[in-house]
Amino acid sequence: MTILENDCCEEYAALATSRRKLLLGALAAGTTTVIGDAVMGTASAAAGRKARGVLVVLSLRGAADGMSLVVPHGDPVYYEARPRIGIPKEQLLAADGFFGMHPALAPLMPLWSTGKLGWVHASGLPAPNRSHFSAMEALEDAAPGSETRTGWLNRLIGMPDGDASPLQAMNIGTGVPPAALAGPAPYMNASRVEDIRLAGAKTANDKRRRSLETLWGKQRTPLGDATRRAFSVVQTFERINRAPATNPNAVAYPKGDLGKAFGNAARIVRGDVGVEVITIDYGKWDMHSGLGDLSWGQMLENATEMSAAIAAFFADLGALGDQVTLVALSEFGRRVQENINMGLDHGYGNVMMVAGAGVKGGYYSKWPGLTNELDSDLLVTTDYRSVLAEVVAGRFGVSTASVFPGFVREPVGVMLGQ
Amino acid sequence: MALGQPEASRRAVMTSAGVAGTGVILSAAPARALGKGKPSRYQGQKLLKKRERHLVSRFSYGVTPELASQVRAAGGARAWWERQLDPSAIADPFADQLQGWWPTLNESPQSMWAQDKMGMMRAFGVCQDYQRYVLMRRIYSNRQVLELMTEFWENHLNVPLNGEPCYLFRRAYGETLRAQAFGRYEDILFAAVTHPAMLVYLDNSNSTAEHPNENLGRELLELHSVGIGAYNEDHVKDAARILTGWRVDTQQGNKNPTWVASYIPGDHSVGPVNVMDFTDANADPDGRDLTRRFVGYLAHHPLTARRIVTKLVLKFVRDEVPPALVDRLAQVYLDNDTAIVPVLRALVASPEFAGSAGAKVRDATEDVVATWRVLGAQVRKPTGPESAANTLLWQADNLGLMPFMWPRPDGAPLVNDPWCTPSRMIASFDMHYSMSGSWWPTRAQGMVYRKPATWIPQMPMRLDELIDHLSQQLLHQHASPVLVKACCRAVGYDRNEKITRVHPVTAWGIPSLLTTILDSPDFFLR
Repeated sequence: MTILENDCCEEYAALATSRRKLLLGALAAGTTTVIGDAVMGTASAAAGRKARGVLVVLSLRGAADGMSLVVPHGDPVYYEARPRIGIPKEQLLAADGFFGMHPALAPLMPLWSTGKLGWVHASGLPAPNRSHFSAMEALEDAAPGSETRTGWLNRLIGMPDGDASPLQAMNIGTGVPPAALAGPAPYMNASRVEDIRLAGAKTANDKRRRSLETLWGKQRTPLGDATRRAFSVVQTFERINRAPATNPNAVAYPKGDLGKAFGNAARIVRGDVGVEVITIDYGKWDMHSGLGDLSWGQMLENATEMSAAIAAFFADLGALGDQVTLVALSEFGRRVQENINMGLDHGYGNVMMVAGAGVKGGYYSKWPGLTNELDSDLLVTTDYRSVLAEVVAGRFGVSTASVFPGFVREPVGVMLGQ
Repeated sequence: MALGQPEASRRAVMTSAGVAGTGVILSAAPARALGKGKPSRYQGQKLLKKRERHLVSRFSYGVTPELASQVRAAGGARAWWERQLDPSAIADPFADQLQGWWPTLNESPQSMWAQDKMGMMRAFGVCQDYQRYVLMRRIYSNRQVLELMTEFWENHLNVPLNGEPCYLFRRAYGETLRAQAFGRYEDILFAAVTHPAMLVYLDNSNSTAEHPNENLGRELLELHSVGIGAYNEDHVKDAARILTGWRVDTQQGNKNPTWVASYIPGDHSVGPVNVMDFTDANADPDGRDLTRRFVGYLAHHPLTARRIVTKLVLKFVRDEVPPALVDRLAQVYLDNDTAIVPVLRALVASPEFAGSAGAKVRDATEDVVATWRVLGAQVRKPTGPESAANTLLWQADNLGLMPFMWPRPDGAPLVNDPWCTPSRMIASFDMHYSMSGSWWPTRAQGMVYRKPATWIPQMPMRLDELIDHLSQQLLHQHASPVLVKACCRAVGYDRNEKITRVHPVTAWGIPSLLTTILDSPDFFLR
C-alpha cells in the first residue's frame, strides 16, 4: 500500500538534498534549476524547520516619494520646490531638528517610541535609474554585473545553510512574485493560507492524492518539480490551516489587500512552519499626478493604509514580533520639484523603513542637500544594500557577501550590533 | 456553433454523444496483442495528426472536438490557420453578442465618469466587466487566432486595469487593437500611443510644452520599441516633447473633466528634436504628423523588429529563443513594412515551430479558458455578481493573474517559469476539481455542465477505453499508460473493469476521471 505522504516526503527530501548540492554547482555554472535523479535523504526537511527569524519585505511599487513619508523639513529647498504638496513642519510627527514623519503615519508611533522604527534617508541604488522595470530588477537582483539573474532574497534562502524548502519564503499576493524572490530556490505564492490545500483530497491516503502522485511522480520537468513541492507544502500547511483563523489579540486590520496580506503574514508567523522571508507588494506609488497634500490625494491614502497595516501586524504578533523585522523599500524616489499636476516625476534617492526585531530606531542619513531645478533629485548617500546587509547580518547571521556579491557595505547603524 | 449559450448549443452535446456513439471499441484482445499490459483504446472521432494538433493547440485556447471538426472542415490545420487570418470571413454570432452582456461595456467615458462622480465608485466593476468579456471571447469565439493576437498586443502595449481613470477608455483601446491585430506594427503602435487610454495611463494627457511629462515618451522607447540601451536621457526628453499636444481633458486640476481627447497645438513643444537617428526641426505647432513619422521610425528600427519577433517567438514557439529564427523573422518584419501576418506565416512554417510541441506552459488565464472549453461548459447571461460569467474572473485570479492586471506597462511575462510553481499547481488542481464535479461555479450561477452520462459514449465499456475516450475529448490525444493508471487509482478500479449503466463509476466517478485528466501534465501545455 502506497501512502502518498510518505512518497511525497521522500521524494521531496531527496529533491531538497540533491538541490542543495546541485545548486552550488548550478550557480557556478551559470545555469538555472537543475534537478537530479532520486537521491537518498531523510524526510525532516519537508517538515519545515524552525525559522531563524522572519524578514518581511514590503515593496512600495511605483517609486514612493520618500520625502513625503519622512520630510526633510530642515532643508529650506524642500519647501521652495514643493509650494503645494510640501508638508508644514508643525504637522510632522516625531520631528527632530531636520526630519519628521508624515502625519498619516501616526499608527507607527508605538514602534517609534519603543525604538523599533528606523528610517534611512537618501538611500537607494548606486546609480540613478528612472525606469521602473530596470530599477526594480537592479534593486531586487542586488548583484550588478552578475549573470546569475537571481534576486537577493532567493540567494538568502538558497544559501547552503538554508533548508531549500519552498516554505522558507512566501510571497503573499496574487500575480507573479517579485524579482527579489526570482531564482532557483523555491518559494510559495498565495494570497490566503486557506488556499494552500489539495482540493478534493480529504485524507492523507485517499484516491485523489494517489492518482496525482501517479501523474506527477516521474515528471522531471519544471512543472513536475513544482507539483512535488506543492504536495510537500500542502502537508506542512495543514498545521496552520488547523489553527483558528482569527488572531488571538483581536487586532483589526485596515480594509483592503494590504491589511489582508499582513493578516495572513501574521498567521504564517504564528504557524511556525519555517517561513523566514515574507514578501508583500504594495502598489499605487507612481504619483506623477494627484499626490496631493494633507487634505487629499494618493499619498495621504497610501500612508494611512500602510501605517495602519504595519501597526496591526505587530500588534497582532504580540511577543512573536520580537522575531520579525520589516523592511519597506521602493525602486527609486521622486524628483525634488513638484509638477503641474500636484505630482512628482521619477527621481532617485529615497527613504527606507526598517522596523521590529533588532532595529535601533531613529533617523539615519548623510543628507546631501537639495537643489531646486526641474531635474533635481535627492542624491543617494547610502547604498540600499548597506541597509539590507545590516538586516541580513543582524537577523540571519549569514555572509552578506553571498547575498550581495561584490558589495562592501558601509556602516549605517540601523540594526543593533551592526 | 459548438460552444456558447446552453440553448444555442444543446445540439453540440448531442452531436458529440452521437459521434461518440458511432465509435468502435477496439476489443481488449487485439489491444493486448499489441503489447503486454497495454491499456485498451477507444476509437471515436478521428484525432488530428500530431503536427496539426500542435499548430491548432498553439494558436487556440484549447483543442476541443468541435474545433477539430472545424479544422477538418477547413481542409487541415494550415488551411484552418490561414482562414483564421481573415476573421471577418468567420461567423462568430455568440462572441458578437457578448458585448451586450455587460451594459458598462458600451457606456461613454463621460457617462461612466458622471456615475463615478455620483459616488457609485464603479471603476473596478467596469474594469472587471471588460476582463470578463475578454475571457468569454477567448472561450467561445470561433476567431481563436484573432483573440490570441489581440491578447498579444494588449499585453505588449499594456494598459493595466487597476481602477485608474484610463479604465474609461479601456474597452475602446482593446477593440482598437483587435481591429488592427493582423495589421502593420507601425499602425498598431501609432494607434496605441495616441489612444486616450494610453495617453491617460502614462500621463501624456497632461503633458505640455511648459511641463513635458516623460512617462509615455520613456516607455515608448523602452518597452514599445527599441528597448533600453539604444538611447540616452536627452532622447527620452525629446520623445516626450514630440508627444506633447496629444491631450485628454482629465480630472487633473479640473473639477469638471470632459474626458474629450483632442490635439492641442498650443501645448506642443516646438523646436528641434533628436532621438537616436531621428531628427526633426519640429517647427509646426501641429505635431501629429511628426508623431506619425517618429512612431514610423521606431517601428521600422531593427531593434524594434527584434523585440517584436522575439516576443512572438516567446509566445508561440519556446522560451529558449532560437537566435537564427529571430534573425529570419526580424528580416521578414522589416521586408514587409512591419506587417505582422508575414512574420506569423514564417514563424508557423519554421522548423523551430514544428519542433516546439509541448514547449509552452499554459499560464493562469489560458488554464481557466482551456478548462471551460474542453469541459464544454455553457453559461447564461449574467444576472448578478455571483453569475458564473462574472465569477469566471476570480478563477483566473486564484491561479495568479487576471487579464490586464499585470501592474506595469511592460506586460505579463510570456515565459513558462512564473507558471511552474507549487502555488500555481495547487490553484490549478483546485479549479480543475471544482469544474469537473460541477461544484463551482454552480448551476445556480448560470452554468450548464455536460451531464456525467454524456461523457460515456457507450455502455458497457471497459474502464481503460472510457479513460482513452475522455483523454481524446479533453487532451485531443490518446491516454498514456500513466494517465490510465492514475485514472484507475482515482476511481479505485482496475482498467478492465466493465462500466455499465449501474456501475459506481457511471454514478459518481466521472468527475474524478475528468479532473485527473485535467490535472495531468499534458493539459498544462499548449
